[in-house]
Amino acid sequence: MGIASQAEQILDRVRAAGAEGDLIIDQGEALSLKAKDGALEEHKVTSSQVFGLRVIKDHRVGTAYSEAADGESLAALVDQALLNASYAAVEAHEKILTNALKLETQDAQLSPDDSTSVAEKIELALAIEARLAAKPMVKNVPYNGVQDSVGERRVYSTTGLEARSKARMMHCYAYALIESGDKNAMEGIGQAARRFVELDPDRLVDQAYQNTFDILHGAAIPSGKYDVIFDEEILPSLFQVFSMMFSGKSAKDGVNPMRDKLGEQIADSKLTVRDLPLDTDGFGYALFDGEGTPAQALCLIQDGALSSLIHNSMTASYFNSASTGHGTRGPRSTLGVGVHQLEIDAGTADDAALQAGEYLVVTDLSGLHSGANPISGEFSFGASGYLCRDGARVQPVRGITVAGNFYELLRRIQLVGSVQHWNWERSAKMPSIRFTDLSVSG
Amino acid sequence: MLQVTKAEDVIDHGLSLGADFAELFVERSLTNAISTLSNQVQSVESGIDFGIGVRLVFGSKVLYGYTNKTEADELKRIMGELAAMDLRDPRVLMQAFDYSAPVEHHPAHRILSADADVDSKVAYLMAADAAARASSNLISQTRGACRQKEQRIEIFNSEGLHTTDARNYVRATLTAIAADGQDQATGMWSDGGLLGWEIKEQVDPKKTGDEAARQALVNLSAKACPSGRMPVVIGNGFGGVIFHEACGHLLETTSVAKKASVFHDKMGEMIAHEAVSAVDDGTMANEWGSINIDDEGMQTQNTQLIKDGRLTSFLVDRLGAEQTGFERTGSGRRESYKYAPASRMRNTFIEAGDAEFDDMISSIDRGIYAAQMGGGSVQPGTGEFNFAVTEGYYIENGKIQYPVKAATLISTGPAVLKEISMVGKDFSLACGMCGSVSGAVPTSVGQATLKVDEILVGGQA
Repeated sequence: MGIASQAEQILDRVRAAGAEGDLIIDQGEALSLKAKDGALEEHKVTSSQVFGLRVIKDHRVGTAYSEAADGESLAALVDQALLNASYAAVEAHEKILTNALKLETQDAQLSPDDSTSVAEKIELALAIEARLAAKPMVKNVPYNGVQDSVGERRVYSTTGLEARSKARMMHCYAYALIESGDKNAMEGIGQAARRFVELDPDRLVDQAYQNTFDILHGAAIPSGKYDVIFDEEILPSLFQVFSMMFSGKSAKDGVNPMRDKLGEQIADSKLTVRDLPLDTDGFGYALFDGEGTPAQALCLIQDGALSSLIHNSMTASYFNSASTGHGTRGPRSTLGVGVHQLEIDAGTADDAALQAGEYLVVTDLSGLHSGANPISGEFSFGASGYLCRDGARVQPVRGITVAGNFYELLRRIQLVGSVQHWNWERSAKMPSIRFTDLSVSG
Repeated sequence: MLQVTKAEDVIDHGLSLGADFAELFVERSLTNAISTLSNQVQSVESGIDFGIGVRLVFGSKVLYGYTNKTEADELKRIMGELAAMDLRDPRVLMQAFDYSAPVEHHPAHRILSADADVDSKVAYLMAADAAARASSNLISQTRGACRQKEQRIEIFNSEGLHTTDARNYVRATLTAIAADGQDQATGMWSDGGLLGWEIKEQVDPKKTGDEAARQALVNLSAKACPSGRMPVVIGNGFGGVIFHEACGHLLETTSVAKKASVFHDKMGEMIAHEAVSAVDDGTMANEWGSINIDDEGMQTQNTQLIKDGRLTSFLVDRLGAEQTGFERTGSGRRESYKYAPASRMRNTFIEAGDAEFDDMISSIDRGIYAAQMGGGSVQPGTGEFNFAVTEGYYIENGKIQYPVKAATLISTGPAVLKEISMVGKDFSLACGMCGSVSGAVPTSVGQATLKVDEILVGGQA
């Protein structure tokens, strides 16, 4: 029986119980390769599928999922979701969308055919490890890999929605462990592309080596307040950790500190933040959200003022507004909200202005989740990077902590750079931002 | 869960491709998760995880795949794709399966397949919420969670192993949020174990609510934490997460065999202060990190890792044993059929000492008492780690002065092991989920309160 027929049977059973529902079916295939000492350490081939059902009956929501696709398990999936709904509190705002849209992504663009053989991918994995291991002082390359994955999502509903998206991602990554005397360091980098030929192993190896070598002799700097620039990998991570500030769901739950600040100045006026899910250059591209609502561009912070929160249909109903197409739901999860791919508008500062005087470039933060409190905005992270002066590195820095309050930091933006950069995962595009007076402990 | 004849056929196919070793790991797990927001049920979720992991070993090369399908043709297709670059004449003959069931050390009674016990779990979370909110009108909200899982596994391998096991996990957590104007702070308490919902007879929802609220209120009144290198007293129970992350991971052959651990060549050497002895014990009855057998079918053990400061054992799985020459310790674990097994921790802790808490505090002129630790991470190659302090106090002139917030401890595993100078008597364990190469597995961390003579504290003051 085909997927569409299985979906229809499941939704028929939902209708027969007097309920509404939507069904997410995720399928995927992936190849993962890792090398060690010139041979393959991991060669992983996977195929997967999972059915995730949400039902609403008498304004009560229940969910269940199954990786088993036999008739008995899929019938149990419906029954379990209905049973779970019977325990839930009445939620007047959560509804199955009434749209009967037919949405489909373009495979040629997002999931191009790729005839690269497994042998070529293995050769790439081995070459990355070998080239990096051959660099001076590299003890080994403990983390490296090449991965090719194709994921497909289908969303069906009892009201006739049929949405399908499919995307391919190839990526490679490498981390070098360098030792010199009693000093050691491990750093790395990755690359992501939709086609194998777009991967650039030489650049990957050079970047991974340089990142590690440059930080090797890092040392702590005196404790104090420093101007800080988070690099293009770290700045998106920082915004992601505190992305709850945009969450309509957290606002509904009363824990989003920005819940009453729409229209208010919450950041320096040089900051404009958008969510751009339809930017096909990024891997956060989304045609529709977890409910099947078409995704759309949304300005979150305009010139420092909070211009919108992100909503799914439930939070939008609660706040008497419209869904912004930011519903998140997987087969195993309940309805939430989340950003697709954040972009920060380029500013006007050139490199000379950004890099004037003394400042700290942070290239790595550790403890990003454990050391952050999105409710209060407070954070304390382990950090490494470079102390710089007038554009030149003065010394590599390790063994420090940076601490502060993210929401206060947004008000201490001194300069926003004029060039946007994607992070390597191509999930966010941001310019360099220079923040002032961040507490550093060395 | 998988017909023996089918398993035999598939494994035999793997050996026919030239593999030295072939294994099937079959899993069917039921899960149930209840979430509450203050005094309302927010969601009840349930699911069925089912899949088969396929492992082939050619020499030192491990090939791994999985599928949700049970047809022999699909399992053979995966094997064929895995072995495409390594095909050779058969090297070994398959051994006939010899079924053995493990001895049950962790009996469970109120298991998920019998009854999800939703009403009883909701009542527990409601009681915890009520206790938290009764403790102060500054407690603005609570979030409760109760998760139960019943994991059934079946393992077949080409050496004739055929075994099954069932693991029943349950964990209940309450997070309290305290608010005073614009200031908000959180506190959390959690109980769990390798057993069924009968755990409710052993835990007290009032204690859960009181403790979550107490931490939130302490943090609400906390001041900025001082920064710099200073002595730190780390509380018992979850304080053991530092040993787990900073040292435990470095003793797994997953890191040792790659020489990605600073301890890879230190067997038999003093790697810690002589006050430190540590074990990884999978045998503790019904503890969260315990198992009957590991995910390669080997009976679990109690493994002494460090004795009086000297390194005495690594954590060794099947592959690690082949790569390092050390004996297996029953430490091959994985989150699910989606992961090849790797050497992982179980219940890992520093053994109790004889120091008194007051003596630790009074020995410090200026430092921190980290009563509760949060999560953190470690870089195995260098041993560098960071951990969040979720309930901390400033110590001055030998006395605890006031609560501090947003502190992070950073150091390296080898350094901190040598800085532990006093270990107390108040040993306890705490539950956690440990993420690593073979996914997230339940592990316990533990210790008695201990003193680290110097560590970098990152704060805002």
